[in-house]
Amino acid sequence: MIAENTQTQMRKGILEYCVLLIISKGEIYASDIIAELKKAKLLVVEGTLYPLLTRLKNNGLLSYNWVESTSGPPRKYYLLTEQGRDMVNRLDVTWMELSYAIETSKQIKQ
Amino acid sequence: MKKTLNINIGNSIIHIEEEAYEMLTAYLNEVKAHFATSADHYEIVTDIENRIAEMFREILFQQQRQVVELQDVAQVIAQMGTVKQFEEVDEEADSTVPPSHEGVKKLYRDTDEGIVAGVCAGFSHYLEIDVRWIRVIALISFFIGGSGILAYLIMWMIIPRAVSRSEKMYMKGEAVNLQGFIRNFEEELAGNQLIKRSTGFIAEVVDAIGRVLGKVGKLFLKIIAGLIILFGCFCLLGLCISLAMVLGFSDANPNDYFPFNIVNTDYLPTMILAVFVAFAVPLIALILFSIRVLFNTRAINRTVSFALLIVWLAGVMTSIFYITKVSSEFKERAEFTDVKDLKPYGTYNLLINRTRFFSKEDSVRYRISSSNYRGRVILNDEDGPFTMPRNVSLSIEKSDNGKVTLAQNFSAQGKTFENALQYAQNIHYGFSQQDSVLNFSPQLQLTKNTNWRGQSVELILKVPVGVKLLLHRDFDRYLQRYGSWSCEGETDDDQDVKVWTMTEDGLKCDLHKSE
Repeated sequence: MIAENTQTQMRKGILEYCVLLIISKGEIYASDIIAELKKAKLLVVEGTLYPLLTRLKNNGLLSYNWVESTSGPPRKYYLLTEQGRDMVNRLDVTWMELSYAIETSKQIKQ
Repeated sequence: MKKTLNINIGNSIIHIEEEAYEMLTAYLNEVKAHFATSADHYEIVTDIENRIAEMFREILFQQQRQVVELQDVAQVIAQMGTVKQFEEVDEEADSTVPPSHEGVKKLYRDTDEGIVAGVCAGFSHYLEIDVRWIRVIALISFFIGGSGILAYLIMWMIIPRAVSRSEKMYMKGEAVNLQGFIRNFEEELAGNQLIKRSTGFIAEVVDAIGRVLGKVGKLFLKIIAGLIILFGCFCLLGLCISLAMVLGFSDANPNDYFPFNIVNTDYLPTMILAVFVAFAVPLIALILFSIRVLFNTRAINRTVSFALLIVWLAGVMTSIFYITKVSSEFKERAEFTDVKDLKPYGTYNLLINRTRFFSKEDSVRYRISSSNYRGRVILNDEDGPFTMPRNVSLSIEKSDNGKVTLAQNFSAQGKTFENALQYAQNIHYGFSQQDSVLNFSPQLQLTKNTNWRGQSVELILKVPVGVKLLLHRDFDRYLQRYGSWSCEGETDDDQDVKVWTMTEDGLKCDLHKSE
């Protein structure tokens, strides 16, 4: 139970970082984000992405444009705001630190 | 066939099957409930709905379909994730999903498992008692003054039948939410259990009876078909033989017999052929159809049947054409009268003379050289002419001028008046006087190859008052107004010849002649 909880917490934080990373590469549609996440083997269901995107958007990290679609109504394409970019940079640093921490921890153990 | 609904989801109109709609609604309700606590729930749910609509469109487009089905919804939900999966990832959102409809049970009739109308099965779901006990109770109640039957009928009427998936789930007390739907759906996919439910006892009996009846009925139908084939073949054979006889053996001159004598000889063969086709083709069609019934085969293909139809129509059209043509030859009627003075006698003996002289026509007809038989007579034993409708009539009237006359009124029909008159003039009627004996021919004669055009002769014999007439019983059929039956005396005599006397009031029967 505790292990599960930890896993969930870790995944949750990393998911947010990954989503921001994917969007940072350019304007992107929600289902394409899912596709990228699946490629990265960070399996999620689409339904979990929408609350996350909405939360990030409401926190000012993301914005979206309505883009006309060939079939059906226009789609929301997400992109990073300035604030979002700062966030990604900060998270990059954090990730380096964490990665270092983990690598070192493992080496010490050996 | 399934009922479909139109829904507006994410600004798209989607056709969706009822079951799929129920599942989708259940899913969206759960999703809404899940995000209800979140401040941005409206936006999140809208995004999800838009995405679902998009996935539907993609599925329909890829598979070239019109309507969203249950498995499509299942697929979309799998991709979108269930609320349970959301909870695993996202725990800050309050995960207390209200257990929607959990435990809520409604009373429906279960026709899938029921024997008659599913009332007992419905109660068994509702009361969670084995259906057998309920049936036992119902059966016992049936025998308590039949009140159970009435109750059953009333419940049959009042309790609705569980038709849709959600109704069936309410009936069984399953939670009508997504898990319930998916479970239900998977159950169905796994063994098609919902569809192939064991049918009840009565249903089985009815089924068995139906099968037996069906087999007996089929056998009966086949026997009938076989008889029709046999009968039809005989008829067809008969038709063919008569056709051959009429057309091929011209020796047996058909022109003398009704109805052939009506038709002009020049188009008789055509018309006979046409009539043959008009009768034979339906017979063939009937036989072919019966063969099809009997042997369960496609007896004829479309082209053949179409050709048969065309041939038949041609035959019918030709027949109708000639029939109207022939009947048009009866349009006008013409008659002329030939009056003969007869030698006066006090008493006349009227005879119907069945002998007639061998005519030139006869010699042609019988292929006998007329020179050898000149003057000989043919005895015609026929009582009346079968060859033609009755066409000789005799009436006896009082003569005003004291003379004895015989007026022969010849009449016939034809296309025009001249035509009709010509036919009338071609009538030969054999009448001769030998002293006081008047010989009447029983029939009239037409020149050979003359068609029947309603030729008839009306004979009017006028005799002065006081003249006696000896009339044979045979005259009954030719005589107008009088007959030997009006001459039956008290004496029970059975004479063939009766004596009549012309009086001022017309012909009177002389009853006392025999004395």
